[in-house]
Amino acid sequence: MQTVTTATQAMAAVAAKPKRSPKVRRGVIGVVVLAAILEAVPRLGIVDQAFLPPLSAVLAKLGVELINPEFLLATFDTLLTWFLGMAIATVIAIPLGTLLGLSDFTYRVSRAAIDLIRPIPPIALIPLLILVLGQTLEMKLALVVFAVVWPILFNTISGVRDVDPQLVQMAQSFQHTRMQAIRRIVLPSAAPFMATGVRIASSIALIVVVTVEMIAGGDSGLGAYIAEARAIGTDVPKIFSGTLMTGVLGLIINSIIGAIESRVFSWNERKAS
Amino acid sequence: MSVVDTATQAARTIAEKPRRARRPGLVRSATAVAVLVGIVILWQIGTMAAGQRFFPTPLEIIENTPGVLFQTGAGNDAAPFFADVLPSLARMAAGFLGGTVAGVLLGAFLGWFGPARDYAAPITEFLRSVPATAVLPIFIMLLGIGSNMQILFISWGVMWFVLINTTAAVAEIHPTVLDMTKTFRIPKAKVLLRIVLPAASPKIFAGMRIGLTAAMILFVTSEFMGATNGIGYQLIVTQSRFQVLDMWSWMLVIAVAGFLANTILEAIEARVLRWHTASRRK
Repeated sequence: MQTVTTATQAMAAVAAKPKRSPKVRRGVIGVVVLAAILEAVPRLGIVDQAFLPPLSAVLAKLGVELINPEFLLATFDTLLTWFLGMAIATVIAIPLGTLLGLSDFTYRVSRAAIDLIRPIPPIALIPLLILVLGQTLEMKLALVVFAVVWPILFNTISGVRDVDPQLVQMAQSFQHTRMQAIRRIVLPSAAPFMATGVRIASSIALIVVVTVEMIAGGDSGLGAYIAEARAIGTDVPKIFSGTLMTGVLGLIINSIIGAIESRVFSWNERKAS
Repeated sequence: MSVVDTATQAARTIAEKPRRARRPGLVRSATAVAVLVGIVILWQIGTMAAGQRFFPTPLEIIENTPGVLFQTGAGNDAAPFFADVLPSLARMAAGFLGGTVAGVLLGAFLGWFGPARDYAAPITEFLRSVPATAVLPIFIMLLGIGSNMQILFISWGVMWFVLINTTAAVAEIHPTVLDMTKTFRIPKAKVLLRIVLPAASPKIFAGMRIGLTAAMILFVTSEFMGATNGIGYQLIVTQSRFQVLDMWSWMLVIAVAGFLANTILEAIEARVLRWHTASRRK
């Protein structure tokens, strides 16, 4: 049985190697076909170029903007707000979630509180926060932290609850103190759940950062860049290139977090949803 | 070992039965109500102590809300509940359903056919990474301001969360299962409805849950930027007029709407996935 599995695996590995290239080739074909459509539809006048510029015009605009310091600063601002918001939320949510998940009573109370607060869309707080904090970085950060603290907290608590109690008992019978048991058993075992929380939070955080920049950004960030381009309205490729750039940021963030997650937790099969 | 395990489990089941299994739902609701009351009391004390004009007390907000929702006159013919709240919720629901259906259908297609998945992978990977709200100006430009644009915009944002999860779940179905359906010549439609979608449903619901969070964000954002009515529209109007108490009432409406939407989705999920939770518990 064991040998068969190994042999099958080896064969699969051999088979998989040349298979990678059709995968890449197909992906390239897919992108080229879509690019051709996005170029042809406005050029043939199926959609007015004033609303949907040809892809080449958008890419040309993006190329120009990539060496424009203002655009780069906007990109950096968005990324910085995203990063600070995520960092603050993680630092709050993971220790707090671990603590709350440890006992039955705090679990039930915090779970009920989270269920009540989590469905509130963070965006609804923007008007209030503008009144209280003005159009500042603090305002944006407060909003992002409020938006993403819940998914991380929720997943951390679930992860801590999911720890096999027998493992903790075993650690105690090996004379581990409570702190040691938490550090050696609870945290590693809950870590994949925390990572899932961080992954979900990171894409919500980017949505929230861009939205608050669009609505109340003043003059910083990609969201404000897009909103300004829309308000002026004459340079349509500018709107598209701003949106394209937010997609590039999202892609980079997703890839980095995905790579870290699969590397660190390759040993783990359990996944939280 | 196994015998001991089973015996322990049996003992535990017997021991727990009278305490836990009686009415877990009731205990949960009671906790929720107690926690809600606790939050409101703390909030009341906090706002009374602070006495800040941007933070009215919860009792003031609750008292103010019916007036905000049902008052007519002074420029509006219909009560805001009918002119703003219902259209908002209808658009949100339509967008969420549209996005879910599109996500499930496209995701099932991409999950089932490996080559199609290869062709589409870079595109879906990129498009799902674009923060949905950044696309709103483009939607407004192409479709103009109005309910149809908002519904399509919400669908777009929700679709990606459902699509990614559906694709992954369908692709994970063991090929032997699908081969077997071929051997038994089961029609494709039946395979899709009876085997593929049920197998993928736990992950589809996980995607829908994130999708609902997104739908709430997107409907409010779309009403901030591209609407002439709705809860989000009223929220931003009252803020610009410095009607702080009315603004808080609209925030309360959004919070309640979000909570109800979440509760409904959870109830549907619990019902549809009953078989799954039951098999997991063992």
